[in-house]
Order: sequence, then structure tokens, then C-alpha cells
Amino acid sequence: MADPTQADSPGQPLVRSFLPTDLLVWLGVLPFFLFAILFILWPSSSLVVGSFQDIQGHFTFKNIVDLFTPSILNSYLLSIQISLVTAVAGTLFGFMLAYAAVLGGLPRWVRTAVMTLCGVAANFAGVPLAFAFVATLGRTGIFTASLRDAFHFDIYQHGFNLYSFGGLALTYLYFQFPLMVLIIAPSLDGLRREWREASENLGASTWQYWRHIALPILLPSLLGTMILLFGNAFGAYATAYALTGGFLNLITIEVGNQISGNVLYNPNLGLALALGMIVVMSVSIGLYTWLQRRTARWLR
Amino acid sequence: MTHLSLSNVSKKFVETFAVKDFNLAVERGEFVSFLGPSGCGKTTTLRMIAGFEAPTAGKVILDDVDVTSKAPNQRNVGMVFQSYALFPNMTVAQNIGFGLRIHRESEAAIKQRVSEMLALIHLEKRGSNYPHQLSGGQQQRVALARALAIHPQVLLLDEPLSALDAKIRVSLRAEIRSIQRALGITAIYVTHDQEEALSISDRIVVMNAGAIEQVGTPFEIYNFPQTAFVANFVGTLNTAEAEVIDPSKGLIRMDAVQLESDSPEIKSGQKGEKITIAIRPERLHFLSEGKRANVFECKIENITFLGSVVRVQVSVGNVKFNNDTFNNPFLELPKIGEKTQITCARDAVLVLKN
Amino acid sequence: MRKINLWAWLWIILGGLYFFGPLYGALDFSMREKRGILSFVAYENVLKDPNFRDSFTYSTLIALATITVGLILIVSTAYWVHLRLPQARPIVDFITLLPFVVPAIVLVDGFIQIYSGPPFALTDTPQGTNVLLMFGYIVTAMPYMYRSVDAGLRAVDVRTLTEAGQSLGAGWITILFRVILPNIRTALLSGAFLTFAIVIGEYTFASLLARPAFGPYMVLLGQDRAYEPAALSIMSFALTWAAMMLIQFLGRGAPGQGQVAGAH
Repeated sequence: MADPTQADSPGQPLVRSFLPTDLLVWLGVLPFFLFAILFILWPSSSLVVGSFQDIQGHFTFKNIVDLFTPSILNSYLLSIQISLVTAVAGTLFGFMLAYAAVLGGLPRWVRTAVMTLCGVAANFAGVPLAFAFVATLGRTGIFTASLRDAFHFDIYQHGFNLYSFGGLALTYLYFQFPLMVLIIAPSLDGLRREWREASENLGASTWQYWRHIALPILLPSLLGTMILLFGNAFGAYATAYALTGGFLNLITIEVGNQISGNVLYNPNLGLALALGMIVVMSVSIGLYTWLQRRTARWLR
Repeated sequence: MTHLSLSNVSKKFVETFAVKDFNLAVERGEFVSFLGPSGCGKTTTLRMIAGFEAPTAGKVILDDVDVTSKAPNQRNVGMVFQSYALFPNMTVAQNIGFGLRIHRESEAAIKQRVSEMLALIHLEKRGSNYPHQLSGGQQQRVALARALAIHPQVLLLDEPLSALDAKIRVSLRAEIRSIQRALGITAIYVTHDQEEALSISDRIVVMNAGAIEQVGTPFEIYNFPQTAFVANFVGTLNTAEAEVIDPSKGLIRMDAVQLESDSPEIKSGQKGEKITIAIRPERLHFLSEGKRANVFECKIENITFLGSVVRVQVSVGNVKFNNDTFNNPFLELPKIGEKTQITCARDAVLVLKN
Repeated sequence: MRKINLWAWLWIILGGLYFFGPLYGALDFSMREKRGILSFVAYENVLKDPNFRDSFTYSTLIALATITVGLILIVSTAYWVHLRLPQARPIVDFITLLPFVVPAIVLVDGFIQIYSGPPFALTDTPQGTNVLLMFGYIVTAMPYMYRSVDAGLRAVDVRTLTEAGQSLGAGWITILFRVILPNIRTALLSGAFLTFAIVIGEYTFASLLARPAFGPYMVLLGQDRAYEPAALSIMSFALTWAAMMLIQFLGRGAPGQGQVAGAH
């Protein structure tokens, strides 16, 4: 499709009979910008103000200083760890699965089925997902119980715990890797057969083709998806809360505790915690942009 | 000396033959085109030479070595693709050097060869550009350099010009031909464009429905097409049904008029035999001085201006013929509806095998 | 070739196990409320529970409101950007991606900070909180909704259609309702179902704004009961599945229909 900005070159009146000036044209998107300001930009920036206030509204650095207490730093660390682990594992597993479905030479229906199931799985998250994992791998879950009954093997006696880091990572992966499949499959389609043939023709083996051509071409979208998976896990609250009941010390859980006011009610600390999350996300996106520039030099 | 030979090569996809009993011997340094409509098997044959398709039967022999079952990356064959197939993540120089790098040549040797190749395609200053920064014609030249950089035994070109503009097509095909001549490399060129095939080739293999229709020089293919398919596919052609009247004199009847022909098919034919004759439009001429063979009354039906030639459609009885005359500013064109006479030489009347 | 196929099948099977494992677990578990036999008792209990009906109805209504208001906002904006303001596209694209960067829990935190006190005081009344919740959901669903509508508009070449409509003497309203909307019907419905799938089980906003939605109900049930949560999980899955199937069914042949959502 033609670039719409090209069609709008000056001196070429297209749909110009409804409103007189260019300034008025911007009125058409005013509701949207108003909405964005009221419900995205202002709430996000209000965190900055609130983070520097105490509960009476006086200016203070206390909330920011409190962020650097060990327990809160640990929350950030734990959230970053689980996001990193599930993003990397989700990327690897999702990539292999997408590769198998798209380029593995399997019947066409396999691909259709994989894409459909991934569409469902990527959206099947939050509370119901946590329940399904509890029913399967919880202390009395079906899988745990059958292993115990059949082999007298209790996975909980051997280091597994659904309500811990590993269990949560396993649960997050349920929506992480399908997301990867959905996003990377079109990129795999975009690998042209001629590239492979041209490289073979020049003497390259399959491995050399992937090493020098396919992976470098895919790298920007792989990195882009990985950052999406990272954010996806980093902001996840419902799944973690429903699974661990708020006992795993993730940063989202911590924010929830501070503002929903159970024991630890301190909304201003909550705001500072949330501000910290935005900082983490911004840093990771900055990192991603930098990597993207390095790996996708050939795109621009 | 035969450099590349294909003997009885066939390729069957499920139940249908894409290529059937293909036999061809190519000399060293020869430029051979496979010409035919899409789906005629020309690309499949090329891909069998490159190793991307395995023949169902037959042999591909290159420099006296049977390469039929060799993997593509074990053959030393350069290929240029229709869509250029340059690696988008590599610069022009990296693309050209890729094959050498795979073959573990030294950096110095790669650098040397790449700059040679860049000079060959006149893109010396573009080595550090990425493919998307080049025009289509430049990209295809890079693809050509990449294929040639590995010193291939044969250069294969799969419709390399069909994605380009008409003007670039003409200049690049001349460039391809001169590079091929300069390097003395054997080349196989697949195209569906008859003009391209005629202008670039030493020999043309005309293919239809997976089989060879005719092999010959451009001159032979154009002037002496052996089958109705070749005659129709290469150039424009007037065809008509006719009947042999006197084989010894080469006399035939077409509708209401009689023609004389030198064609050996008539001499060896039977009286009363039904045949198909063909006459190239440029071999018909309006009126001529004096009485000679094959002069018919005709009516001007339509006149089309095609640039360098003017095409006049006439009717001879019920048969419609096209006449092509070279354009010049002093050309006197007849008028539509006018009645006049048209003529052609005895040797212009061809007989087509069906 | 054979080796590659085996390798590919291996990953497909692993993926299948991961996908179906927990579903099988939840299904099996949900039917074991009565000792020794498989039964649907847990499902009956859930369906009989008035809190289930109330919270589900509440979430459905909120979802409908979100879809209506969200689509009006997004379709009008996307249409206008396509037609008159292509230069605004980068900034609109950027804004619609912000919800990916700002997690829901952060956003709801900001909401409470601004709208719970004067001058808005939206959280003082249930109606006000409902409106706030709806806007929160519009923000959450916006990336998906916008992408779906944008792809739909891209595919039909709005500019030409609008100009054709104008040249035939049609006014704005006629063009929008008789020409544009029917042509992006698929995209609108996809966006709507996706939004529904996101909103119906959403927990973060609903819980922190303390509204009686389906998400918090599920969590509460999860704390009190053993088998009913598994039944709810299966029912939610069926709902997600149905929404995705509808999107896929609608999207046959239509390019660029995203089907990735998330309210984790």
C-alpha cells in the first residue's frame, strides 16, 4: 500500500472541503489526546509527584529512600529475574515451536492448529490460569497426586513447589511462549526461500545459513518480542496473586499491598514503587533500542 | 567439447511430469537459453542443474562428473535469482564475499576478489551499501557478482531481468552477455521473453509442457521454426489452413487462392493433404512491380502503429494476415477499406508440424 | 528431510503437552468434588452461586461499556488519522503502545492518586468508580483494539473510499456508517471480542478499585474452595476459546488481525 504521507503532499487537496484550516484538522484527534492525557499520561506522571509526598501531602524523599531498603530491592530483583527467565525461556521455546510449525515441513493443519492454540493460550492468563496450574501441579493437583500414587514419588519432596519462583515461572511460560509464536511466525514466513537457496548455492551448510543469514535477519524481531515478554511478565499481577496468594515478594504484589491497604497501607510508598517499575521498564526499553540499533543496522 | 550434459532428465511432481526426457549437451563457454511459457519446466530444469530439485530419472553431468545426487552446496554452480535474493543483513561487499568466506578463503583473497567483482559490475563505490539502498538493476548486478565470485563451473540465471524496468532490462542483458563472454563461462539462462532469448543466446532451447520443442541458434529458431508452438511463441506469425495441390511444384491452396512454397514438407507430401502454413508478417509486402509468384488481392482491415514498425491487417478472402513494414517518415500507408495487392516470396511460406 | 520432521514433531508435541496439560489437570480436578466418582457438582455449585451470576453480569456490562466507548474513541481517531492526519500517526501509534510499558498496577495506582480526591472524587460513588474502571479497561485494551481497527482501515484504503463517497454526494455520516464501518466490520468485531476476553476476567483494576467484578470473585473463591476454582478455570478457558474462535472465524482472509491480548 502506498505511503499515505506521500499522497498528502502539499498543493494536492484531497478531502479538503469539510474544515477550513490545518489547525482545525487536529480537533479530530482531540478526544483521543484528551483521553490519553487523562488516563495514561497524567496518572503516570502523578506518580512522580506523589512519590515525593508523605500521606499529608508534604514534600519528602522518604519514599524514594525507602525503595532502597533490602526487602524492596529484593522485590524488584525477583520481578526482574522472573521476567528475564520467562522472557528468555519463552523466546527459546516459542521460537523452536514456531520454527517447527512454520518451517518444519509438517502438514499445513499443524501450523493452523498451533497458531490457533497459541492465540488462545496467550489470552488465557490471570486468575483462571493460576487455578489450572494449582489443579495440575499444586500439592493435591492431578499430576502431583498421580505421581505420588503410582510411583510414590512426591515432587514436593524433591524440590518442586508451584508457589515458588520455579512454579510461577512455569505458569508465566504458559502465556509467554505462545505470544512468542504468534509474533515470530510472520517473521519466519518472511524468510525468503531464495535466501536459503542462494546460500546453499554459494556452498553454505544449513548451520551456516542460520548463523550468517536467518538469525541475523530475525534478531531484531526476536529482541523486540523478548522485551515484550519481559514487560508482560514484569507487570503481571493477577496470575501471581491468585497463585501465591500474595506471599511471593514480587514488586507488583508489593504495590498492590501498599495501595489496597491490608497491613502495609502506605499509598505514597506504593506510588514510589510504581515509579520504580516505570523506571525499570524504561531502562529495559532503552536497552532494547540500543540493541535494536546495533542488530538492525541494515534495516535503515 | 561437452561441458554440461543432461541426459533423459525427468521430474515428476505427484502424477504430472514437470520435465520429461530432457536431453541437452552444452559446450564450454556457450550461452544457452531455456525459453517457454510459465509452467513449461524451464525453471525446474535449471533448479535440477543447481541441485534444488532432484531429478526423478536421468543424469546431470558437469565436467565429466555425475553431479545428479550432489547437494546444492557441494556443486560449484553459480545462480542468479529472479528476485535477486541478496542477503538484506549484509553489505554489497559481504554479499559478494559470502561464498568465499564459506569456502574459508583468506581475508586478503576475499577482499581482492570482491573488488575485482565490484569493478566488473561497475559498482566500485557501493561496496559498503546495503542491498535496499540500491536500485533493482544494481541489486541484480550484485547478485551476478556474488554468483561469479566463487568461480562457478556454470552460471545459472533464472529470469534475472523480469523484475526490472524495460530500459534497464535491455542494458543489463547486454552487460550480462558481455561479462559472460569476457569470462568465457558457460551460462544457462531461463526466460519467457522471446526477444530476450533471441538477443542474448548462442542457442535457444524452446520448451513446452515439460518437453523440448526445438533447439537451435536464434537465427534458426526464428526463421525456421519446426513446430507450430515454436513458430507462435517466437515472434508474431500468420497461420492458415491449406491443402497440397501439387507436391512437386510446391503448389498449395489456401482458401480461394493458390500459393507456391519451397518448403520440403510439401515436396514430400501427398496431393490433397491438409497442412498448416505460416508466414512472418515482415515477409509480406504490398504490391510489387511485375508479375511474380504469390500475389493476392487483399483488403485493408486495420492499421496499427507500433513504433519502429507499422502493422497492417489485411484479409485475403476469408484469411486474415498481419503485415509488418518498417516505419519511416516517407512511408505511404494504404487506407482502411482500400483494396490492393500483397505478395510474399516462395521461401517465406513455412509449413508447421503439428 | 526425515530427521527435520522428527525434530519438528518433537517441539510440536512438547508445545501440545504444555498447552493441554494444565487444561486436562483442571478438567479432571474440577470433576472430583464427590469422592470416587466423576461429577459436575463443582460446576453446579458455581452456577448456583448468586455471587457468580452478579459478578459475571457486572463484568459483562463493564465489558460492553468498554467496547462501545473504546470503539467510538478508537475508530473515530484511527479514521481521522488515516484520512486527514497521517502526520499524527507516529504519535498515535506511540500512545497506543504505552499501556505495554505502563503496567496495569502502576496505572491503577495513578488513577487512585488523581481521581479519588477532589476535584474529581470519582471513587466516592459506585457509578464514578465504574466509569473509572471502564476507562482503565479502555487503556488496557487499547493496543489490541487500535491495532485491529488500524489493520482493518489499512486494508480498505479509506481515503479512496471516502473520496468516492464524496464524489457521489454522500455526507460524513453516510460515508462513515454506510461505507467505512461495514468495510471494517471484521476488524471491529475482532477488537470487540478481544476486549471482551481481556475485561471479563481482569483482576488488577477491579480489585484495587474494589468493584464486584468477576476477577476478584474468582480469587475469593480460590481462597475458600478447592474444586470450584478448577471448574471456573475450565469455564473461563471455554469463554476465551470461544472468543478466539469467533475472531479467527471472522478474520478468515482478512489480513493483519491481531489476536494477542493480555491481562495478566
